[in-house]
Amino acid sequence: MFKRQVLLECISALLILLFLYASLSKFMDFYTFTGEMLNQPLPHYLSRFLIWFIPITEILLCIALLFERTRLAGLYASLGFMTLFTIYSIFIVFNFFGRIPCSCGGVIKRLTWKQHIVFNLFFVTLSVWGIILQRRKIFKSITITQNSFV
Amino acid sequence: MKKIKWSIMALTIVASVSGAFATAPQHDCRTDQQYYWTGGGFMPTGVWAVNYLCDASSNTCTYTTDGFGHYFPCRTGDYRVLPAITNETTTKKKK
Repeated sequence: MFKRQVLLECISALLILLFLYASLSKFMDFYTFTGEMLNQPLPHYLSRFLIWFIPITEILLCIALLFERTRLAGLYASLGFMTLFTIYSIFIVFNFFGRIPCSCGGVIKRLTWKQHIVFNLFFVTLSVWGIILQRRKIFKSITITQNSFV
Repeated sequence: MKKIKWSIMALTIVASVSGAFATAPQHDCRTDQQYYWTGGGFMPTGVWAVNYLCDASSNTCTYTTDGFGHYFPCRTGDYRVLPAITNETTTKKKK
């Protein structure tokens, strides 16, 4: 039980590390990030929306993952976020948009798109693992409370 | 358990913030005037993401200069001019 709890904390910490680092890097080099977002093969209105939506969502995800009450929602949101980005990376690698833009975000931008997919899949797996552990934990606490009433 | 949890989280936050600060660009050459190689000389570029972009490749996309005829590589990629938005197109749209 204790080991599982520590593991869950470590999974959440790794996801927080990723999202907090990524969002802060974007805000600290906002000019470049804006240019790189506009360089993506997406409609400009969507890119303009994503310029604000992505870093703000990343910070909200960190807050959700930090607290016990919102952690499961945060883990589901992380899974969704990372899955979407992985699908986008796969589209880029298979040249779905006709050109390959740069990959962006702090040190992570040094990764190629293929490395990005592997990197994302690792965090997708981590989110799934976190969801399983958190759900088990919630289920156990519910059965303990129910048994105490019997 | 709470102590362990908050120690891990505090460590994570410190690592993320310091990591972001450590990897932030010190002097960003991209904020200087950019030039591109025409094949015969260097020409000033327009505004990034408005007039031109750099598609992913290992080539040098734009250069900066020290003002003494020396040009230094700045952005990487392939230089691509974006179609200009002229007054003509905007008036057509309005119609």
